Amino acid sequence: MAKEELLRVENLKKYFSTHSGMLHAVDDVSFSLAKGETLGVVGESGCGKSTLGRTIIRLHEPTGGKIFFRGEDITDADKKRMKELRRDMQIIFQDPFASLNPRMTVSQTIEESLLIQGLFSRRDKEGLRKRVHELMDLVGLSERLVNSYPHELDGGRRQRIGIARVLALNPEFIVCDEPVSALDVSIQAQILNLMQDLQDSFGFSYLFITHDLSVVKHLSNEIMVMYLGKMVEKCSTADLFRNPRHPYTKALLSAIPVPDPDFHADRILLEGEISSPIDPPAGCRFAARCRYATDRCRQGDIPLREVEPGHFVACVLD
Amino acid sequence: MKSRANEKNKQRSLWVEAWRRLRKNKLAMAGLGFVLLLVVLAIFTIAVDLITHNAFYTEHVVKQNLRLRLQGPSKEHIFGLDEFGRDIFLRVIWAIRYSLFMGTVAIGISVVIGSLLGAIAGFYGKVVDNVIMRIMDIFLAIPSMLLALAIVAAFGTSLTNLLLAIAISYVPTFARTVRASVLTVKDQEYIEAAKALGASDARIIGKYIIPNCLAPLIVQASLGVAGAILSIAGLSFLGLGIQPPTPEWGSMLSNARSYIRDGWHITVIPGLMIMLTILSLNVLGDGLRDALDPRLKN
Repeated sequence: MAKEELLRVENLKKYFSTHSGMLHAVDDVSFSLAKGETLGVVGESGCGKSTLGRTIIRLHEPTGGKIFFRGEDITDADKKRMKELRRDMQIIFQDPFASLNPRMTVSQTIEESLLIQGLFSRRDKEGLRKRVHELMDLVGLSERLVNSYPHELDGGRRQRIGIARVLALNPEFIVCDEPVSALDVSIQAQILNLMQDLQDSFGFSYLFITHDLSVVKHLSNEIMVMYLGKMVEKCSTADLFRNPRHPYTKALLSAIPVPDPDFHADRILLEGEISSPIDPPAGCRFAARCRYATDRCRQGDIPLREVEPGHFVACVLD
Repeated sequence: MKSRANEKNKQRSLWVEAWRRLRKNKLAMAGLGFVLLLVVLAIFTIAVDLITHNAFYTEHVVKQNLRLRLQGPSKEHIFGLDEFGRDIFLRVIWAIRYSLFMGTVAIGISVVIGSLLGAIAGFYGKVVDNVIMRIMDIFLAIPSMLLALAIVAAFGTSLTNLLLAIAISYVPTFARTVRASVLTVKDQEYIEAAKALGASDARIIGKYIIPNCLAPLIVQASLGVAGAILSIAGLSFLGLGIQPPTPEWGSMLSNARSYIRDGWHITVIPGLMIMLTILSLNVLGDGLRDALDPRLKN
C-alpha cells in the first residue's frame, strides 16, 4: 500500500566549520516520509538528530543534498517562498522554558503565528480572540490562562502553548525536537497523547526526534537510528524492536529499562565515549565502540543496504 | 479560591513584578523620590516662565542686586544670595531643567543610537559586528569628557552642541550593553521558533530581542543620566556649556569659586545639588538592577 509521499530527503549533509575542523553533524542522510505518518529519529546526544530536523525545515542551511516537500525542491527556495512554506512545515521544541518569549502572554504567543503568516489582520480583534481560544481549547489549555506569562506556568502547560502556536498554522509536517524530554514522566504521557490525537484529527506528519526509544515505540510508523551524523538503521517500528540488525541499535534497545525488579537484562554495555564528529575517519563511525568491529569496518564507506524489504542497515556484518 | 487568585494575576506583567520589588528597596525609593521632586520643580519653573513670559525669570533669577551680594541664608532667601545678589534657591531650581532634562535627552539620544548599533552588531555578527564594535572601541579609548570637550570646542558652545557632544560620548556604552545582551538572547530557542514561523529580521529584533534586552539597558540608562548631568556640569564649569547669566549648577559653581572665602553657601548649595542628584540616580540605578534581575524573583 503506497501512501502519498510528503517529504523526501536525499543525501542531506550539514557540516559546521569549527576552529579544529569540519564538524559532520548530519552526513549523507536519505529518507522519505508519507502523509500522516510518523518517523522516529533516535540516537544519543550529539548524533545530529536535532540538526537533521532543523536543516529539513531550513533553520540551518544544508551543506549538501536535496530536500523535496510535496515534490517541490526546497533546498534553495528563497526567503519569500520559505515564508509561504513555513505555514506547512513547523517545529515543536525540546525545552518549553526556552522556546517561549518570556515577555509575551499565552495569547500573544499564539496570535504571533497567525499575524506573522497573515492569516488574520491585526485589526480583526474578535476573530483573533476566537481563534486563540479555539486553539487553546484544542491543546487543553484552560481559557483563564490567556493572559498568563510563560514563567507562571508549568512545563506541560508551556509545551501545550508551543503546540498551539504550531497548530495555529495548520501545517502538514511538524518536526518534533524531543518535545517531551524536558517534562516529567506523567506529563510526558499527556503531551504524547495530545500529539497523537492531533495527528489523528488533522493528519499531520511528524518527524519525531528523541533519545528515548520507549517514547517513539507507540508513536512511530518507522524508526531511524542515527550515530554521529549517519543513519545506521531504518525500518518499521515493529521490525526494529523485534529484529534489530545493527550492533548500535541492539545496544540501544538493551538499554531500555524494564519495569520488573526480577528481570535481569543481558545488557550490551558500550565501551568508551562517542567519538568526535569533527573530521571523522573513514569507515563505520561506530567501529571504535563496536564489539564486532573488524578491519573491514574501518575501510571505505559502509553503504546502507536493504537487508529485508523496508529494512535498511549500514553494517558490513549483515 | 484559586481561580480568583488567577483572576487577580491577570494583567500582572514582568514590569509590574519588578516595580513591586523596587518598592521594597527604601534607598532606591528615596532616590526616585528626590528625582521626582526635581522633575516636579523643573516643570513648575517652566510653567512659571511660560505664564509670566519670562518676567519672573528676568526679575528674580537673572537680575543683579549688588548691594545684597554674598548675603547668607535668611528667612527671605533660604539659600542666601550669590556674588551678584541673586537668590540662590531660585537659581538652583531654575537650573534643574538644564541638568535633568538635558541629561535625559542626551542619554535618550545615545540609548536610541547605541542600542540600534549594538543590536545590529549582535544580531548579524561577523563582519558587521567587527566594524561597528571596533569603531565603538575607538570612541571608548577617548575619555568621554575629552571627547565632549573637543566637540564643543570645534563646533562652538551652544545647547545643541553640548547635547550632541554628550550623546555621542555615551553611544559606545549603550552599544556594548545591548550587544552583550543581544548575544545571549539571540541563541534562545524562542528566536528560532520565531524564525520557523517566518518572522522577518525586523520583527525578531523589535518584538523578541529588544524587549528581552531592556532590563540591563534601563539600568545603564539611569546611571548614564547621572554621568551626563556630571558632564554638563563639568563642561559648564569649564565655560563650555551653559553660559551665564543662565543658571546652571556647574557654571554657578565655577563662578562661585572665586568667592569661596567670602560666602560658603554659594559654592556649597550648587555642589550639594549636583551631588544629591547623582547620588539619587545612582541608588535608583542600583535598585533597578536588583529589581529587574529575574534570578532574584521572590
